[in-house]
Amino acid sequence: MNADNYYIEEFLAGRSQGFDALVKKYQNNILNIVYSLIGQDRESEDIAQEVFLKVYHNLKSFRKQSQFSTWLYRITVNTTYDFLRRRKNLVSDDAALEAGSIVRGIPQEALLTKERDIMVRKALKSVPIKYRTTLVLKDVEGLSYAEISKVLSCSIGTVESRIYRARQFLKAELLRFGGELI
Amino acid sequence: MKECARIRKLLSRYLDNELAKAHDFRVKKHLDSCLACRKELLELSRIKEMVLQQERKSLPQEYLVSRLWKRISQENDKREKVSWLTGMEELSRRLISIPVAAVALSIIFLFLCLRQPVSEYSLEEHILSGTQATAETALSLILKVQN
Repeated sequence: MNADNYYIEEFLAGRSQGFDALVKKYQNNILNIVYSLIGQDRESEDIAQEVFLKVYHNLKSFRKQSQFSTWLYRITVNTTYDFLRRRKNLVSDDAALEAGSIVRGIPQEALLTKERDIMVRKALKSVPIKYRTTLVLKDVEGLSYAEISKVLSCSIGTVESRIYRARQFLKAELLRFGGELI
Repeated sequence: MKECARIRKLLSRYLDNELAKAHDFRVKKHLDSCLACRKELLELSRIKEMVLQQERKSLPQEYLVSRLWKRISQENDKREKVSWLTGMEELSRRLISIPVAAVALSIIFLFLCLRQPVSEYSLEEHILSGTQATAETALSLILKVQN
């Protein structure tokens, strides 16, 4: 039995430590996926919390035919999409990005890194959400094409083409911001 | 040039080490002889690196766990409150409905009693029959005599 299944069994037997262990193990992965998709700090934490609440309420119905992580990433993607749908047209993405990236009193080198980060996040925002999600699962979370295809319920060929197109979008956008980055 | 177009579609997957061996070999072979495709690969790998190098967020170990349990406990409290209120509503509905039903039944009973056919029955006949009169029959017979 792998560690995740052990924690799930613990939780289903009424021991909350099982749930705590799952949260601690995956909280930063989920936070970083969400943050890369929406680019906002506080909202990312709220969405991560929402994801684990769904896990808490639905863990009983989780069938161990797939890996727990696949199921968790699927919930994460869907919860983030729900958030983006709700927030649509309410907040300007650029304003939100800059609000979450105040760069006061930071050394020059760190400042450059920070600026590059902001630029990459802005460029990521311009990538259509389906391509962005696929790219984030690949480059931020390090999943294989096969794992991504399970999370997103699509073929490996689709994953391949989405990643290819996401990188083309990113390249075009980064070139627009400043060609010297490449 | 046609080969370049085909290879470029494979470059992203090549970069991710997701190509089958045969394709991998084909891409490597092409890259050895094509400067433009090597440049394209370099750009793609730079982009990948930039995404990888992004600042990673990290939460304190207990932070999300404690936030979650607080929220779960709030949800449970809310659920209990809702079920308690629903129970009280049901009880009060029942408590009110008993006297209302009793009053309604009394009204119906009185209405039926007052509608008894006493009009064809005279006071003299009643006295002669020797039966005891109820308050209602006596009242209606007297009223009839007066009319």
